[in-house]
Amino acid sequence: MSMQPILELKNVTKEFHGVAALRDVNFTLLAGEVHSLLGENGAGKSTLTKIMAGVHAATSGEVLFNGRKLTFTSPAEALRNGIAMVFQETSLVPSLTVAQNLYLGKENFLNRLRGIYISAQQFLQSLNFGVDPTMYVSQLGAAQKQMVEIARAVHHKARVIIFDEPTATLTPEEKHHFFALIQRLKKDGVSIVFITHALEEALAISDRITVLRDGQHVVTDDARNFSRDKVISAMVGRTLSTELYGRPGEKRKARPYGAKVLSVQNLSMGKMVRNTSFSIYAGQITGIFGLIGSGRTETAKIIAGVMKRDAFHGGEIRLEGRSVRYRTPRPAVKDGIVYVTEDRKLEGFFETKSIAENIYLNLLGADLNARTLVSHAEMIALAEEWTKKLNVRAIDSSARVIELSGGNQQKVVIARSLVQRPKLIIFDEPTRGVDVGAIAELHRVIDGLADAGLAVVVISSYLPEVLKLSDRVLVSRQGRIVEEFSADEATEEKVLYAAVH
Amino acid sequence: MRSEAIQGFIDRLLGRGQAAVTVPPLDGALKPNNVLEEAAAGLAVTAPDNLVEWSGRLLFSSGSRIHSTDGRTRFDVRGAVTAMASSPGGLLAVATDAEGISIKRLDGSLTRLTRPEASAFDCTTAMVFAGERTLFACVGSAENPIDRWTHDLLEGGRTGSLWRIDLDSGDATSLTTGLAFPNGVVLAADGDCIVSESWQKRLIKISTTGAVSGQVIEDLPGYPGRLSHSARGGYWLSVFAPRSQLIEFVLREPAYRRAMMSEVDPALWIAPALSTGKSVLEPMQGGALKQMGLLKPWAPTQSYGLVVELNAAFVPVRSMHSRAGGKRHGITSAVERAGTLWVTSKGGDELVALDVSDKAE
Repeated sequence: MSMQPILELKNVTKEFHGVAALRDVNFTLLAGEVHSLLGENGAGKSTLTKIMAGVHAATSGEVLFNGRKLTFTSPAEALRNGIAMVFQETSLVPSLTVAQNLYLGKENFLNRLRGIYISAQQFLQSLNFGVDPTMYVSQLGAAQKQMVEIARAVHHKARVIIFDEPTATLTPEEKHHFFALIQRLKKDGVSIVFITHALEEALAISDRITVLRDGQHVVTDDARNFSRDKVISAMVGRTLSTELYGRPGEKRKARPYGAKVLSVQNLSMGKMVRNTSFSIYAGQITGIFGLIGSGRTETAKIIAGVMKRDAFHGGEIRLEGRSVRYRTPRPAVKDGIVYVTEDRKLEGFFETKSIAENIYLNLLGADLNARTLVSHAEMIALAEEWTKKLNVRAIDSSARVIELSGGNQQKVVIARSLVQRPKLIIFDEPTRGVDVGAIAELHRVIDGLADAGLAVVVISSYLPEVLKLSDRVLVSRQGRIVEEFSADEATEEKVLYAAVH
Repeated sequence: MRSEAIQGFIDRLLGRGQAAVTVPPLDGALKPNNVLEEAAAGLAVTAPDNLVEWSGRLLFSSGSRIHSTDGRTRFDVRGAVTAMASSPGGLLAVATDAEGISIKRLDGSLTRLTRPEASAFDCTTAMVFAGERTLFACVGSAENPIDRWTHDLLEGGRTGSLWRIDLDSGDATSLTTGLAFPNGVVLAADGDCIVSESWQKRLIKISTTGAVSGQVIEDLPGYPGRLSHSARGGYWLSVFAPRSQLIEFVLREPAYRRAMMSEVDPALWIAPALSTGKSVLEPMQGGALKQMGLLKPWAPTQSYGLVVELNAAFVPVRSMHSRAGGKRHGITSAVERAGTLWVTSKGGDELVALDVSDKAE
């Protein structure tokens, strides 16, 4: 790591329609360093990196690259100059293969697929990424897409690589490979900007950390001068740590078992869900932990009628003593089963509709609207009630959902589910891509639902979250629930051991 | 809307609904543990069956003999005891497979109840007093004697009944018939009978007029047996045998079942049992149960030891297990007395005492 700044931002301000997303931010990136950028959602991290990568131009202030003032007009131009960005939402072409995506824009006049498959295979293997280069990107899971995206940035031999939440979808093993890759890139002199919500990761791998809050620079320092609590207090202006994941070693009192609401018996779906059996009880939070691809999401989707189990001996789902088999989610919603998706951008809401419209549409879907005709007044009242209940921060309820930050989007998704008055609610990764402040609020909402007597299921890959929320922890592995822990016997080691072995 | 018959045909074809060979998992409050297996050694008794508290003593039956746990009382009856019940006033009802129901009083006098029909009470599985004058009795099957209960299960028996017996007049009234082996009865707080219907794997609520007013717990992972009150306003449920996918499968294959019943020794049938591991000819053994010389944690078993505590709303709150490979299987009766739960393991020939005083978990 040299002390030579490769990229420098001086007093950068960025305004969108007169609202400042960034104000007077100074940022320096040294050659060969890993620099973490932390902050709540809406703190301006993404905006800052997008200015570096040429997506946005700064309203005022200047950006220096290798000492020269620069004005990129497009990300492609930035890429040619050696600045690559790995976006939060992947920007791959789904209808092309992995190899074609890697070589996109660099093809020869006559593009020989066999050749690029072989070189892509070699390249991916050199990064230790187990992705088949002949697969279509649309067939890949979220984690694999992320790997291809990372591979593409590395492949362009960029001097500066910006990762926007690269690890959110990776399994612990993949994360391990990813961090090894970062170390390798660093040794080659590549500078890395790393945005993450997982503070432990930032503390573990960064050389320096910059914290932003409300579009303003708060602090930049060496990573070894930071602790978890210090980062959090810089991010939110108060300490949240114990509120978030409890004190280490502290045992919560588990809620008692309520009536058995759901019994899943021998449920199977293709290769993803294999003979899984478990029960869900009312008045409790059941946490389901498992690595990516362990069939948690698929199981939940079968329960909610989004996916269908095997037609032949696919197993049974009994809801309150009655065998149920849904072909579509609607009858499931009417029976009180609601699934809150992990992929909110794709499945969670209508992104160009307003908060009010989004919430009201789900009310209509559950046939719970007070009047037969669509009522604007009812819609507005409903939106007001729920934005207040869940503390959704938006300019007004006519704001389009796509304009909200991750945490607020998630709150809208949850509001949409709660208006359907569920008996059983399944949260799939409820705090993925959500900032720490909103995580605490969402946890309170989830706890409140269980206290109110609902059967709540929380699927999460983040262990502290599972341990903090759950009254009982189910561990999923290879399409099956393999172990159950009560709240007082579950520890990180035990749960992870069950999930891996 | 498809008719029932077509739906049934499709279910059988695709293995759905009633035809699904599935068993609910033992999880939540029923999560397996070794509490029952690891409890201190109890009294070795041959096939202890029904426990009942009578005038300050704890009695249990074993064959045609009735013992008290302190060893001070012991008396014999004619025929094997199938069920017992006691009233707060000191009446002890004893049902045997030879003489039906008799009432023993504190003074030692014994009254045989006149039988309403010939041998109707030879298969009495459980009884409970409602006051000093009324006795409710479960008759498991009208067709099979009590020691042929596996026959009743495999034949799909639905000939059980619940009776009300007026002790003053000796009149017996059949309240409900067509039950699938009622095998336990307890009075709920509102005076209704809670009956465990073994072959339906559920507990049902039957009013004193005989109307079935609903099932209080359904789809149990084992065959429910006798019920008793707990000290916390709930109930103890003895589960005498486990369900397994193999047994569920055999129950859905009539041709195979008939062939097995006509050709194979009943002790070696694929059917629930009170104890296993006694014969080398048993259907499940060797590699099906053991790997590298060790019993698999997921080994299937035909017998199991399970006693479940239910709260007043019939929600399971905790359970004690003796798992595959254990000895204390075939739990037929459980009675809580002063912080101690007495449990009869009919399959394991043992009377076990468990400390349940600390309301753990």
